Amino acid sequence: MSGVNTIIIDGLALALPLLIIAIGGIFSERSGIINLALEGLLGFGAFCGALFAYASVTLHWFSPHSMIPLYLSFLVAALGGSLFAVIHGLLCVKFRANQVISGVVINILSVAVTGFLTSQINVSVFGGPSSKFDLMTAPRLTIPLLSRIPVIGAIFTRFYAFEVMILVLLAIFWFILYRTRFGIHLRAAGDNPQALDAAGVGVARVRFTAVLISGALAGIGGMCFAYSILSNFSAAIYMGYGYLAIAALIFGNWKIMPTFAACLLFGLAQSGANQLILWLKMDSSVGDLAMIVPYALTLILLAFFSKHNRAPRALGEIYDKSKR
Amino acid sequence: MPDTDVIVEMRHITKRFPGIVANDDISLQIRQGEIFAFAGENGAGKSTLMSILFGMYQPDEGEILIRGRQVDISSPNEAVALGISMVHQHFKLVHNYTVAENIVLGIEPATRLLGLIPYVNMRPVNKVIRELSERYGLEVDPSAVIEDLPVSTQQRVEILKMLYREAEILIFDEPTAMLTPQEITYLLDIIRKLRDDGKTIILITHKLEEIKQVADRCAILNHGKLIATMDVATSSTRDMASKMVGREVIFEIDKELARPGEVVLDVQGLTIENEHHVDVTQDVSFKIHAGEIFAIAGVAGSGQVELADAIAGLSAVKTGKILLEDCDITHTLVRPRTLKGISYIPEDRQDVGLILDFLLEDNLASKAYFRAPFSRRSILQRNAFDSYADDLIRRYDIRCSSGALTMTRSMSGGNQQKAIVAREVEQDAQLMIFVQPTRGLDIGAILSIRRRMIEERDKGRAILLVSLELDEIMAVADTIGVMFAGRMIKIAPADQMTLDEVGEYMMGVKQS
Repeated sequence: MSGVNTIIIDGLALALPLLIIAIGGIFSERSGIINLALEGLLGFGAFCGALFAYASVTLHWFSPHSMIPLYLSFLVAALGGSLFAVIHGLLCVKFRANQVISGVVINILSVAVTGFLTSQINVSVFGGPSSKFDLMTAPRLTIPLLSRIPVIGAIFTRFYAFEVMILVLLAIFWFILYRTRFGIHLRAAGDNPQALDAAGVGVARVRFTAVLISGALAGIGGMCFAYSILSNFSAAIYMGYGYLAIAALIFGNWKIMPTFAACLLFGLAQSGANQLILWLKMDSSVGDLAMIVPYALTLILLAFFSKHNRAPRALGEIYDKSKR
Repeated sequence: MPDTDVIVEMRHITKRFPGIVANDDISLQIRQGEIFAFAGENGAGKSTLMSILFGMYQPDEGEILIRGRQVDISSPNEAVALGISMVHQHFKLVHNYTVAENIVLGIEPATRLLGLIPYVNMRPVNKVIRELSERYGLEVDPSAVIEDLPVSTQQRVEILKMLYREAEILIFDEPTAMLTPQEITYLLDIIRKLRDDGKTIILITHKLEEIKQVADRCAILNHGKLIATMDVATSSTRDMASKMVGREVIFEIDKELARPGEVVLDVQGLTIENEHHVDVTQDVSFKIHAGEIFAIAGVAGSGQVELADAIAGLSAVKTGKILLEDCDITHTLVRPRTLKGISYIPEDRQDVGLILDFLLEDNLASKAYFRAPFSRRSILQRNAFDSYADDLIRRYDIRCSSGALTMTRSMSGGNQQKAIVAREVEQDAQLMIFVQPTRGLDIGAILSIRRRMIEERDKGRAILLVSLELDEIMAVADTIGVMFAGRMIKIAPADQMTLDEVGEYMMGVKQS
């Protein structure tokens, strides 16, 4: 397999989970709620999904080699992510807390809670001291003919099934945001909540729902990373992809398709850097430098493109009915 | 006129806010298909009354009848259900949405994709909007995005929003405040068309000329009371102006004749533009002498606040000159102006005048903290702040719960204003600028600030007062300058003008 193929295959495997997390962020932020909690939400979602998958295998809930735990674990991860997002929703919408602080606190809380619960559950339920839940690696698929096309064929080679799921979710959530009444209300809440309220739609309900959606999508994204990069759930899930998703959605101007492009850019940049280090036969300790590439790229791109960026006008604004 | 024509009836409406009666026992009837105007100065209670009709406030006493039936309007949604809609002064539009999307917001038409999945279909909406805009001469492109549209077009979108919701009673709150003269003419035409089509129009304004042009009847409010309901056709603007300004009891303040000295402030041909590059004052010139109170009268938005800001150095000057004791300060920064001798009591005391989350003592020293005794070798001397603040609190009678260490936000508006006055007076500045210094204060605080202005004048200071309250201007001014639409149209000694005359100049009824 050529290096270019590997760059594309690994790049997509990173870019698509990043995208689904970023779409979650877009839903929250277009409704006017800053969501720095994506990192914590993806971690908690992955924890819930991984706990379910690990338990179902260890405790023989399904027949061996059944794929059902794998599919269901994504659903559980989505539920777990939105459950944790309830905290952010309550703090930001109901209690009118500072949204930045709420997000940061949720991230810290998520690391602590999942770390603690993982070791405790391992000891008390599964009877062995461990700080992770081991998972199977998600199966990879290759489409016979399409994969033979030069270069582009890599897109159809050794991809994870969840990448297809993410593309389907992309279409669904694009439709919801731009073509449904709920989507129109959501985007109005992030631009001028007073206008939405005057039109007889409850701002709080729209924003709370948006935050729950962001939790669910971040949870799914976290589960993807648990299956692909880690093959387990452990504290290593918190490697900053939630923040990278935020960078992608800002770079994508809070719009879904440009954010998709930003995620592809970040994914390919990282897999490209990994390949570069292999080709140059650099020491593995230097390999960690490759991790820097997407972040350095973010800094540079944001410095140059920020002036074209337009955040939702009411982003971070605590909505007060009586204010006019 | 038979009772069946009455569409809105208000009976004995009273609304109190802490410290003020915004509407005091107001009863009136508005007829189907007329243009009914509310006139009155700022704070007369006209917006409050209409907010009650639109369900944003509940009256403390009184009842409302719509089409002869008593109703309880507890939210704007209920008002809309009764066919009442309102165009607010600040438009409620989503900026990155199209005209059509804004019009249907909240009642979007949904079609089912494949007979199953509901999605928003704007096509029928665009057709309805086009029909409505043709019918009333409201030219808009349904697919244009709001943020690309000028204010006058955004206003048309707000009107279309009401029409799309089939409103019968349309309330306009100061609709011409942000429009150019041509746009005003256009809007008034639309309002007439709406009336001719059977809609009932309620117009809130303080511009009498507009009332004269379009309204059928007019209610005049003053200090929360309904002064008169008049037929516009048979009343003169002059008559309406005198009723609007009212003949309130002017608080007695002992004041000796001014003994003006040298010129302190000399403003020459000042033109100021706002952030949209529109001239807000045009070629304004005047002089203030030592020992003189020069008061600028004018309706809100005549350019007087921008003028005061420019003299204080808060905004830039386009053309013209400002001389302070013969020294050109037109382009000087704020601190050199302060040190040279300008003190400034701004209109917005909470945003510009104070840092609310600082201690009272920090606010009292906020124009002198950088020099001795407050600062030595760049280190703040807290005990100097303490003793200075204690002294001012005593001398200016500032009421505060924990003395110098009171959090400024916790103080009442009147005492916050006293703190600003104390700080500014203590600067010993040659020129003192007071902008709306008594707005929203109780009678005791009002009198104390007015007396302070006269005391400072008697010490030989030049005082510039900007006020929307004619009473205040008549009570303290030695010289009155009247501004209308950005121009200083009249300057005369206070004892040579009557309150009515000043009112007429302010309304643009009388030109010199």
